[in-house]
Amino acid sequence: MSLQLRDLTKRYGATTAVDGVDLEVGRGRTLALLGPSGCGKSTLLRLIAGLERPDAGTVTFEGADITQVPAQRRAFGVVFQDYALFPHLDVGRNVAFGLVEQGLTRAAIQARVTALLDTVGLTGLERRRVHQLSGGQQQRVALARALAPEPAVLLLDEPLSNLDESLRESLAIEIREVLERLDGYAVYVTHDQAEAFGMADEVAVMRAGTIRQLDGKQALLDAPRDAWVARFLGHENVWEGAKAQRVAEWAGVRQAAGDALLLRVDMVRLTDQEPGSRGVEAIVTRVEQRGLLWRLELAVARWATSIHWSGYARELRPDLDTPATPSVGDTFTLSVPRTAWRTLAADDDAGAETAAQDAELHA
Amino acid sequence: MRGNWLGTVTGLLATGALIALLFVPLGTILVRSFTGGSSVPGLETGPLAVLTDPYYLGRIGFTAWQALLSTLLTVVVGLPSAILLARYRFTGRRALTAAFTVPFVMPTVVAGMGFLALVGPNGALGVDLRNTLAIMLAAHVFYNFAVVARLVGGYLESIGPRLEEAAATLGAGAWRALWRVTLPLALPATLAAATLTFIFCFTSFGVILILAPAGQFATLEVEIYRLTARLLQLDAAATLAVTQLVIVGVLSLVYTRLQARLAVGVDQRGSPRRPSLGGTALLGTNMVLIGVLVLAPLLALTYRAFTDPGGGVGLGNFVAALDAPATIGFTSLGLAVRNSLTFALVSGTVAVLLGLVFAYAVARGGWRFLDQLSLLPLATSPITLAFGYLLSYPLLVTTVWGIPLAHALLAFPFVTRTLLPSLRAQPANLAGAAATLGTGPLRTLLRVELPLLAPSLTVATAFAFAISLGEFGATLLMTRPEYATLTTAIFDRLGRPGAANYGTAMALAVVLMALTAAVMLVLQRRVRTEF
Repeated sequence: MSLQLRDLTKRYGATTAVDGVDLEVGRGRTLALLGPSGCGKSTLLRLIAGLERPDAGTVTFEGADITQVPAQRRAFGVVFQDYALFPHLDVGRNVAFGLVEQGLTRAAIQARVTALLDTVGLTGLERRRVHQLSGGQQQRVALARALAPEPAVLLLDEPLSNLDESLRESLAIEIREVLERLDGYAVYVTHDQAEAFGMADEVAVMRAGTIRQLDGKQALLDAPRDAWVARFLGHENVWEGAKAQRVAEWAGVRQAAGDALLLRVDMVRLTDQEPGSRGVEAIVTRVEQRGLLWRLELAVARWATSIHWSGYARELRPDLDTPATPSVGDTFTLSVPRTAWRTLAADDDAGAETAAQDAELHA
Repeated sequence: MRGNWLGTVTGLLATGALIALLFVPLGTILVRSFTGGSSVPGLETGPLAVLTDPYYLGRIGFTAWQALLSTLLTVVVGLPSAILLARYRFTGRRALTAAFTVPFVMPTVVAGMGFLALVGPNGALGVDLRNTLAIMLAAHVFYNFAVVARLVGGYLESIGPRLEEAAATLGAGAWRALWRVTLPLALPATLAAATLTFIFCFTSFGVILILAPAGQFATLEVEIYRLTARLLQLDAAATLAVTQLVIVGVLSLVYTRLQARLAVGVDQRGSPRRPSLGGTALLGTNMVLIGVLVLAPLLALTYRAFTDPGGGVGLGNFVAALDAPATIGFTSLGLAVRNSLTFALVSGTVAVLLGLVFAYAVARGGWRFLDQLSLLPLATSPITLAFGYLLSYPLLVTTVWGIPLAHALLAFPFVTRTLLPSLRAQPANLAGAAATLGTGPLRTLLRVELPLLAPSLTVATAFAFAISLGEFGATLLMTRPEYATLTTAIFDRLGRPGAANYGTAMALAVVLMALTAAVMLVLQRRVRTEF
């Protein structure tokens, strides 16, 4: 029993927003669709919801082909990024909207609305007007409204993107709980890697209309398919071309000419011991303090390149009780185990997004 | 801006103009309604007598009744177009929206002649509906459905289709979503559009005079005209004018309140989509029906104008119109066109200058109350305004400046409404930057702000020009044979029996239609007005 997309394609004029996507979501599971803006993830979600008709491909739900079924008969719940609450109805009537379509009695509707508002922490706000609520409250109402008709599938389109940082955390917890308790299927669209990992069991990384990699969370981090996916997931030490060759040579990693190289910096130790066969000298060239977290850039002469490292002060000098603060010019030895290296395919789609979007990713 | 002498000067100019050109005439009417003896001996005068007279009460009642019916019909005709336009994206959408506004910009006289040609005596459809309520309502719908379509359509478009999409995901199909979401959402805009339409239909004049001149169809405006021009009962006219002013004034306030609430719009996203099969069918049907509504009268008019009295197709009517038999004292086509164009040029220029002065005073000088006051001429009906001029500036009316001035006053609110948003949209620091470079407010206006306003100025000028070309009521009241315009010349010929006169009237109407259409083409480039 699953929700299946086969070879799904959607074009707008000359642009192909979704290009032959294959996807499967298992019952009781949450899939995150992760990708930069413009990659087609929202379009894909709308195709699943039935708000768009695909140009090719099929959508199958628990064995039935629903490709031609319009949105109102699929009745998959959708939580939109901009809440999309009905401004002419109060909170209670918004939540009850789908229940009215189902023809429930007034008493049944009343009971269900009260229960749902309790679930999302908005008890007693039935008669409030929508514009009187904060962004976080509005999104909670949207969530309650989508859940009310007990849809088989819940689709969330970047539900936290319109909210301030401070509001995001509490609503994220709420959504996570809802997803965990959900009996059906859920697809969560986001451009934020941390959000995707927080909400979902599996993550599909999307770029320029296609799924680049679909895997469990740890599998993605351990074995990204190519340099682009690695960077998008947050790996900072990815080299390509000649640079990759040089570093790979030092590391003793064998790879082909066009391959990229990934260093799992979370497996690297910074020590003050002598460089040996597995260690290499590095000197700090940039220091950035983000609260308790330190981000360092270390130049490695032997590799003729730099690496990015982040961690707590304790990891720099584990022997000290009071951690020393790093500064520019400090030298360390990088202890790099074999397993920290990984060969990847190169970024084969360098022009897939505009330079501006790429810059956004690496920020 | 602090210390902007130009803002102060324009504010004073604007206030002065308002007082002289609007408040004095209206005040004179008000005074006249309470004081002054009747010009007809033995007749009861005084506002109380007039307002308790069952005849006049009947006139007021009828005016309101036909306006209400017209408004309801207009909303019914205009709403589908509004919703379909906002919902769907299709080729020819721009052209369709522009086509909607054709009736609205057409002079009332042209619309009236078009309906006569269609369903009047010897009409194209073979049925004579002259002097019926039906033809009046039809003409009103023809005129005003664009108001509903554009106001409501624009509002729905700014909201976007997102809410209907949300409704779909909750199980509501297209018709359910229409009933539960779209129509309730459109309600504020619909009410505003309906109020505006009601005001237009309430003050209807040209349409009534041409299509339903019989006594029982007289609206307040027509009654005021008759009392002033024919019966010379100026006191009764004054009372009615004040009554109409109060009613329309209240309605205008209601409208501005409703319109203000539209601005507090919902900020949703999503864009119109291509229609489904069912949607295409609906769209097509609607487009055909609207097309028929808009084109039929105008086509009938054109056909009739090119039909010679003998029956064949030709330019007979136009040729006849060029002559002006001195014995009957008609205006020739040549003189009428010359006058119309001259008045339009003069009043257009004055309207633009006046409108610019107002817009500058409001946007730069901080004279914010002028914003609302500049709408007053719109609430004052043309007949009332001309009546006020006749009372307060009797000598002015005998000169060639009388009519253009009245036109300018009627047109400048549209100019202000067009220029204000553009002026406000200019970056606030522009004037400051210019000041630091050594230019004062006047030079800044000439070198920086006006060039930026150029597109809006073009639209505003075209608007003022079109309004003057098609103006009928005020012109009729202030007319003299040598100042006859196309609109009065048409009405003149209608008033005399005979197929030949009828034909030449049609020919004149076609010329007026063509002139207005030419001006419309300029307008179509970018219409960004707020009513």
